[in-house]
Amino acid sequence: MKNKINTYLIEYAINSLLRQKYKNIFILIVFTFLTSLLTSIFFISNSIKYELNTTLKSLPQITVQKLKAGRHHSINTQVVDHIINIAGVEDAIPRVWGYYYFENAGVNFSIVGIDEFENQYKDSLNKIIKENDFSKAEENSSMIVGTGVKKILDENYYSEYFNFIRPDGTFKKVDIAGTFKSNLQLESNDIILLPKEIALDIFDMEEDMATDIIVKVSNPEEIFTIASKIKLMYPDTRVITNKELEISYQNIFDYKGGIFLALFIISIFTFFIIIYDKVSGLSSEEKKEIGILKAIGWKVEDVLKEKFYESFIISFIAYTFGVLISFTFVYIFQAPLLRNIFTGYSELKTSFELPFVFDFNTLFLVFFLSVPIYIAATIIPSWKSATIETDKVIR
Amino acid sequence: MMIELKNLTKVFEVNKNNKTTALKDLNLNIKEGELLVIKGASGSGKSTVLSLIASLSKPTNGEVIVDKKRVSKLPDNFASLYRREHIGFIFQKYNLIPTLSVKENILLPLIPQNPNEIEAQKLLEKVMKKFKIEHKKDNIVKNLSGGEQQRVAIARSQVNDPKIIIADEPTANLDKELSLHFIEILRELKKTKKTIIIATHDPLFFELDFVDRIIELSNGELIR
Amino acid sequence: MILSPEVLTIIILNIIFLIFGTIAFILSIRIFFNWNVESTSQKQYTLEKQSFLSATIIKYILSIKILLFIFFIFTLDKISNVLTGAMCAAGVVDATSYGIYLLLFKLINIYLFGFWLIIHNFDIKTETLKFTKLKFGLFLFIYFLFISEIVLEITMFSSIDVAKLVSCCGTLYSNTQTSYLSSIFMINSSYLLISFYSSLGFLILFYLVRNDYLYIIFNLIFLILAIITLITFFGTYIYELPTHHCPFCMLQNEYSYVGYILYLSLFVGTFYGFNIGISNILTQDNENSAYYYKMSLVFILFYTVLVSYYPISYYLKNGVFL
Repeated sequence: MKNKINTYLIEYAINSLLRQKYKNIFILIVFTFLTSLLTSIFFISNSIKYELNTTLKSLPQITVQKLKAGRHHSINTQVVDHIINIAGVEDAIPRVWGYYYFENAGVNFSIVGIDEFENQYKDSLNKIIKENDFSKAEENSSMIVGTGVKKILDENYYSEYFNFIRPDGTFKKVDIAGTFKSNLQLESNDIILLPKEIALDIFDMEEDMATDIIVKVSNPEEIFTIASKIKLMYPDTRVITNKELEISYQNIFDYKGGIFLALFIISIFTFFIIIYDKVSGLSSEEKKEIGILKAIGWKVEDVLKEKFYESFIISFIAYTFGVLISFTFVYIFQAPLLRNIFTGYSELKTSFELPFVFDFNTLFLVFFLSVPIYIAATIIPSWKSATIETDKVIR
Repeated sequence: MMIELKNLTKVFEVNKNNKTTALKDLNLNIKEGELLVIKGASGSGKSTVLSLIASLSKPTNGEVIVDKKRVSKLPDNFASLYRREHIGFIFQKYNLIPTLSVKENILLPLIPQNPNEIEAQKLLEKVMKKFKIEHKKDNIVKNLSGGEQQRVAIARSQVNDPKIIIADEPTANLDKELSLHFIEILRELKKTKKTIIIATHDPLFFELDFVDRIIELSNGELIR
Repeated sequence: MILSPEVLTIIILNIIFLIFGTIAFILSIRIFFNWNVESTSQKQYTLEKQSFLSATIIKYILSIKILLFIFFIFTLDKISNVLTGAMCAAGVVDATSYGIYLLLFKLINIYLFGFWLIIHNFDIKTETLKFTKLKFGLFLFIYFLFISEIVLEITMFSSIDVAKLVSCCGTLYSNTQTSYLSSIFMINSSYLLISFYSSLGFLILFYLVRNDYLYIIFNLIFLILAIITLITFFGTYIYELPTHHCPFCMLQNEYSYVGYILYLSLFVGTFYGFNIGISNILTQDNENSAYYYKMSLVFILFYTVLVSYYPISYYLKNGVFL
């Protein structure tokens, strides 16, 4: 506690590592690779979580969906009037939206029906409506699409208009009036905004029906109570609060991250075995060196300390490089290949940018999963070499 | 430093059925300042005697007493302290670290003590001067000549100024010239009144005028 | 089961500790029953070598354990976001019946491992290694506490039900509850405060007089009183809310993580205090005595000053107490 750090010992440790250059560089590379893989996974999932959370903030406080035989069904807009009368409810807005499967490209578009004169459930939509003239859109049967959608349509030669196929097989031609780009990348990519009437038309829904109803509550503390009230009023509905959505998203992400962590354990275990093997196999040269050190006055403790410095130096350098490499890989090169594990191939090939999210937590996580594990693997080999019967090796 | 070996026995157990007795009931007293040569074929136990005196191994029976203190059963902490302060070990093949410099090699015994920079420098200078290699202090050992490496090895063993010098077959890997060179250094060391114990079967040592005593071991027992 | 990466990391490391701890345990048994310093048999020499391995393992476990404990508290805080109703680590600790015991075990084990190392460091400085048998016997005992901690930890994490509502610290640490925790609120806070400050006074007294036994006793008393007064009195000034008694909320960002500083200084200070008992009384090693005394008092004083700052500054700002 009172002793200053033994720099001679650290220097000796570094020298010792360099004397076994090839073996140590191999270990360093493997370990750095594993660390950077792990850190990349954390960085990517953190970034996606951040993107998602930003989206979640704009989620409706309460969503009311009608269920029939446990499956989602369109809901009657009459319900809106009853909900508005519940104390504490600021507004209840019916939404018409859904997915349209574009067979040629094999992707789903999200279709959102807009009624210009109604309140929009999201501020971002309000902005978009102001910026793009929707009144014309309704007259001319046209739509505004997100950048990702535009790209797909262009690729499929639909540059001016698009033909939706109604459920009865007939076509509905809708012109493309413009493109919008919202500040939420995940969102703008697969969304098509069009007048509510057209949406109802495409989905073959009647005028007084809606996909679901979202409820705005003036006091966020009351969300839960109001949700229960709605459920009591309409037992055949599913009433989801924003908190529930947030938790389930968080859990999915942690779950996915957890799977990778589980896989990582396996690789760590393998690595453990490799290190143990490599470090245990002391060449007669190494044994001799330690024998000499002890003969000239080094204690077992001193040898152990030196070996510890060696392990710590390698694992810490591997950790630092791993983090830096992963940082470059994820945020500068945007993590090719790896990010698909999280965003999935089946959706529209999203071309969003991973936002830079800095999290101390991740750095500590990766540290705990790398450095102590490496040092643990070297405990027994280090001890074995430190307690060698000196007289045998210096003959 | 008076060294007393009392009923010293060392048995190596490879396994339960395979035991070799390296030393059998050895009794020996070594006076302070004495230069003792231990003669014997390989396997006779002479290396074992040396490691027991240096407390590098522990006897199966008997005691090693140095300056009235029993060193044979010291726990590791104390044994290494004893070695560091009182024993200067000279090895068969020098056993220097070839990629380090002369200075760094000689520094090795001092490292665990974490000495003050200035003090360490003083000790190093002193011992390098004494063995005449200070002009090469920053040279990498592997680039030195055989004779120079020899002097580094000896300097390293003397950095803590130990009273006992132990050499195990010091000339076994050397040519005539270097062997003679070693003997010259030995002559100088003898003058400093240190106790010197050499285990060897090199006949060069048997005719020296400054050797006080020659004993012979065979099969772990003293025969002469 | 909460499968967040943090929880998995903690569990992975604990499993590694478990494996190595068991190795140390087996070695400890051998050493405890067969150790004979005087013996010259090969067996004894092997035991001597193995005692180094045990010591190294324990050193390793302790150093990572301390870091991991801080990370553990931080993780509890993070999990509180997923548990409905929990706003800080208190909710998570309360989510299962194991939470509070786990916390206690972790703290006690860190203290115990630390004491073991103090004894070990002294032991290897003696020529006859006279405390070896004692310290390994002690480890046999520590090991069981250690296993309990790991079992508790895995059980706790696997039994946390995300869907179940937990109480927030507001209800847990209030006067209205009927738990044993609330019984501390029954005691008049002025009596508690007086006891707290006077135990500090006694500590200073025994420091000056260098009375080891009494210092240790009051060290323990101070530790207990410090935690009680932190919950009942000082905490409310950190939060500036007379009903907020939570010991965990102060670990959060909004209070500048002051909780970490407070707890750290309290635990380190009392650790050094107990050390005096170990070294002066047990091992008769008086070399570091002055150092331990000084360190202990420094940290304890620092804690007291920091924790007293809150009510005093509140009073100076507002002219009244809460």
